[in-house]
Amino acid sequence: MDLTVASERSSTFERAQPANLLTLDFGDPRGAAADVRRFARDHPIGGVVGVDDDTAVVAAAIAADLHLGVGNSESAALAARDKHVQRVTLAAAGVPVPRFSLHPLEEDAAGLAGRVAYPCVLKPLRLAASRGVIRADAQAEFVTARERLRRILEQPEVAKCGEWARQFLVEEFIPGPEVALEGLLVAGRLHVLALFDKPDPLDGPFFEETIYVTPSRLPLLEQGAVRQVAQDAVSALGLRDGPVHAELRVNERGPWLIELAARPIGGRCSAVMRFETREAGCGMREASLEELILRHALGLPLPSLERERRAAGVMMIPVPGAGVLREVRGVAEARAVPLVEEIAITAHPGQELVPWPEGFRYPGFIFARGETPAAVEAALRAAHGRLHFVLEPVRA
Amino acid sequence: MDQPIRITAEPVDTYRCKFVLNTLVLPSALRRFTSAADAQGSPLAENIFAILGAGITEVVVSGNLVTVVKNNPAPWQEIGKTIGGAIRLAIAGAQPPIAPKLEAPPAAAEPVDDDVLYDRVAQLFDEQVNPMVARHGGRVDLIDVQEAVVMLRLGGGCQGCGMADVTLRQGIEAMLHQAIPEVKGIVDITDHAAGANPYFAAAKK
Repeated sequence: MDLTVASERSSTFERAQPANLLTLDFGDPRGAAADVRRFARDHPIGGVVGVDDDTAVVAAAIAADLHLGVGNSESAALAARDKHVQRVTLAAAGVPVPRFSLHPLEEDAAGLAGRVAYPCVLKPLRLAASRGVIRADAQAEFVTARERLRRILEQPEVAKCGEWARQFLVEEFIPGPEVALEGLLVAGRLHVLALFDKPDPLDGPFFEETIYVTPSRLPLLEQGAVRQVAQDAVSALGLRDGPVHAELRVNERGPWLIELAARPIGGRCSAVMRFETREAGCGMREASLEELILRHALGLPLPSLERERRAAGVMMIPVPGAGVLREVRGVAEARAVPLVEEIAITAHPGQELVPWPEGFRYPGFIFARGETPAAVEAALRAAHGRLHFVLEPVRA
Repeated sequence: MDQPIRITAEPVDTYRCKFVLNTLVLPSALRRFTSAADAQGSPLAENIFAILGAGITEVVVSGNLVTVVKNNPAPWQEIGKTIGGAIRLAIAGAQPPIAPKLEAPPAAAEPVDDDVLYDRVAQLFDEQVNPMVARHGGRVDLIDVQEAVVMLRLGGGCQGCGMADVTLRQGIEAMLHQAIPEVKGIVDITDHAAGANPYFAAAKK
């Protein structure tokens, strides 16, 4: 299939290859859709796929503008994009979400700290990868956390993104193990592609991800309840088509919807999922998550939505500390750990590594596959234990 | 060899994977093998082609990089370690892992002259491609043309850039196919992990 890649910043090849590359303003989804409508006069478009939170909204606007048939409404994509709109919509529909309140960044932190219930979580409305998400257990912690969040939201590249950067949510902290659900929506029906356990407790004060392992070891009854809450959530938001990534917590009161996004799992993590399918003339073959998403967007027949039988996992390698990366040692030794399939170091030498909550980039990923989730989890931990990141102090 | 051989696999896509070594295999040269017969005399390539069921179709060796192409859709994770073992075995052997390239006898009727293609590709890179990537501090070096396949290396802002694959496929490859239709494909032999100044960060997460 012919592909056009749209980006916010222009490619140096755009003028030479105008059918292949396109620059759009992702901050203005309707403007972007109008630009694509003009583009499509010369280069017809069969489907559109967003790859992250911002472009999910742009893709929805484009799909609606071009009457593509497969896609979400812009309002549904926006409801998924903005955590406050999402909370309001889901709470109104009876989907279990944490209690929440919206506050302007200018609100007196000390006064607010005296009114909220603890433990609570301070959360920006749109930043990705849990950037800026901080737990507070007492008033003093709340004031410190709010100040830290304010500094993040006032960073120039964040502040310029819009009014949402002048507000934040305060949410009830929901205890319990967390799972991630990866799904594909087809005409409003949620097909669960994988349910991942997150075996490392995410109790804060910051919420950097580490290990995802599938299949889930939750009891089947609880898994069913998780699926139902996720289906209820996408229905309430009005999402109909495309990838969904949701994060839920499970405790004695049942599943709680913590986050839901109309996009696939982030970064390189999608590589952890493979789907087995039989194709005429080719026998059995494996399909990637991206293939499923593209086929669905183009209205092509979908292969099996059944994930492979084996357990699989990925570790988003935690930021080892603040500093400038010089080198990573032990990669070969980590790769030699049984069941480990790939070590992908995505940080480059000279890159500054920034820990959470200010940071939002993992320095790399570890992938493993095996017969049981426990074996996969152990392999990921063993491989991580063999990696050594050499950092230098950041020069002022 | 004193230091232990370290090999890192960097899959490019389902069919192409780069294996980055901590040692030079073929300094200042490039060799491309397209069959087991072609690999005869070069143990490293012989070993890789000999992996049963892998569907290996091409091995490209340059500096500390071994690029392997296969036609089997199985994930690289399944055969990556086997390929790593094949490379180690060849390097540990008494024979040079890659034999020097022999000058080919003059062919009666060459369908495509790689030397002519090289000059045309080099001219395209000099006059059009490199001025474009230079705007992002990047550089594209033409390493070789073998059997109408272009071997290139990205540098500067392109090395390790999160958009490098878009630049390669949507930009450079498209331009090559339009300007020089005889080109059958391109192979990127860049060690992207070593890129110290990429124009765009590799990934958010």
